Amino acid sequence: METPGQGAGPGVDRDEVLRRAEIDASCRTPVMAFFASGVFWLLVGSALALLASWKMHSPEFLADWAWLTFGRVRPAHLSVVAYGWASMAGIGALLWLEARLCRVRLPWPGLLLAGCALWNVAVAGGTVEILAGRGTSVEWLEFPPFWAVLLGVVFLLITVVSMMMFAARRVAHIYVSQWYLFGAVLWFPFLYVMANVLIHGELARGVTQAATNWWFAHNVLGLWLTPIGLAAVYYLLPKILGVPIYSYHLSLLGFWTLALFYNWAGTHHLIGGPLPAWLVTVGVVGSVMMLIPVGTVALNHHMTTRGHFWRLKESPTLRFTVFGAMAYTAVSVQGSLTALRSVNEVVHFTHYTVAHAHLGVYAFYSMVIWAVMYYAVPRLTGREWPSARLIGVHFWCAAVGMAVYWVGLTWAGVHQGLQMNNPEVGFLEVVRYTVPYLWSRSLAGVLMTAGHLVFAYHLLKLASPSARWIRGPALFGRRRLQEVAP
Amino acid sequence: MSLSYLAVWALMLVFAASAIYGLVWAIQRGQLQGFRAGARSIFDEEEPVGVPTDAPARGPGQRASEASPVGRVANEREGR
Repeated sequence: METPGQGAGPGVDRDEVLRRAEIDASCRTPVMAFFASGVFWLLVGSALALLASWKMHSPEFLADWAWLTFGRVRPAHLSVVAYGWASMAGIGALLWLEARLCRVRLPWPGLLLAGCALWNVAVAGGTVEILAGRGTSVEWLEFPPFWAVLLGVVFLLITVVSMMMFAARRVAHIYVSQWYLFGAVLWFPFLYVMANVLIHGELARGVTQAATNWWFAHNVLGLWLTPIGLAAVYYLLPKILGVPIYSYHLSLLGFWTLALFYNWAGTHHLIGGPLPAWLVTVGVVGSVMMLIPVGTVALNHHMTTRGHFWRLKESPTLRFTVFGAMAYTAVSVQGSLTALRSVNEVVHFTHYTVAHAHLGVYAFYSMVIWAVMYYAVPRLTGREWPSARLIGVHFWCAAVGMAVYWVGLTWAGVHQGLQMNNPEVGFLEVVRYTVPYLWSRSLAGVLMTAGHLVFAYHLLKLASPSARWIRGPALFGRRRLQEVAP
Repeated sequence: MSLSYLAVWALMLVFAASAIYGLVWAIQRGQLQGFRAGARSIFDEEEPVGVPTDAPARGPGQRASEASPVGRVANEREGR
């Protein structure tokens, strides 16, 4: 063990450094508002997901309600989860991380709260419009333009607040997580506004619209969710374990290569479509080149955690973080391989793609965001999570649910793709083949939703007046503080 | 319409230029040097290298000073 203080960062004037508790206190209200809103939309998104999933194997279920038909419920699920859960919880994580990394208080808490309220109104309004049949039918941009403008305004607020914190930072060195957060707050709002202008402003039509659509849609994961998720992992892993990142230069190489390659990848969604071949090839090349940043991240995460894997037994934050980090490697390698034309011609338009998307947004991103919440909420509120058991139930519901989901749909998807490419097999025969796997998806969805309900209940319990003030982390097993002899 | 396309192209160039500027700025300011110190920049006296921040406040046989930061807050509150 090193002498305390030996690890102080370069360029840190110790008299100037704010205590973390002060920084966390400045974040409390806005960040908790974004977290709580995210959890609310997670529950709404889960209900819509279950409804959509159930209709896949039982199409007669609630079929007489126009508002609840599959064509509306499915885009409503995607929009609620992407802009409600993932974005709101992500913005909370992003603001907290930036304040800590820059060692400054979070500015404009009142304005951020107003932004949070506006974001909630936009997600609610956009979702109601989708369910009313007025969605745009442009995947990942289904909210009608009016609501998108509101989201764009809040995106710009987040960018301005981030830049203010960066300008006022009290550390000379820009930690790797900060670079990733830059990617999120500088590039994604720009992409969001640009994609809306191009598509809803009718500048991009026909094939160009499809290309713009998927350039944007893939970048929701690549330049919004992924940077926030990786920034969190690069911060949490060393902090939880008390060890610096294994190879810092690889981590920076990973960021800059992600910046270079990720935004090219979107056109791999249009393999086989009527696009110029070179445009699709650029997407394929960009996707395969992503193996470089992914390799650096995977190596770094593994080598940093090596020798500390035993702590997975006790630390909830570490367990969620490591699960998410491993899923990032898995989904990214799978994505690079799926972008190859030979693979894509089999699995495109099958359930395989749905499983792949959930491996990214759920197994990687959502697990990491939960890790941030399990770590940050006690520090923000001064209250500890009341029950390690409930955290365990949440983890296993999410992990087992995700595993069942991915295995069932990936298997079904590959088989479905091979059958669809075979002219000897009738289409209905292929549909019937997938039905048992669609039931497995609904079962997995029930399990994941149960985990979300447990998590939401736990958060409410933490916020209730009867909750304990902080006494130490809620750890799994016998090493919980409450059970350690004084 | 052509003016709109021009605006889109101009903004795209600004977008690409911002990334290149960021990289050049980082190199010139020495952000891509001193990796060992950089990796430790998230640690300090409050949360030093070698002390997990998600560990029990005080394990059996462990001194209060060896407790995790969260645990230290608990120890201080309880007068230990």
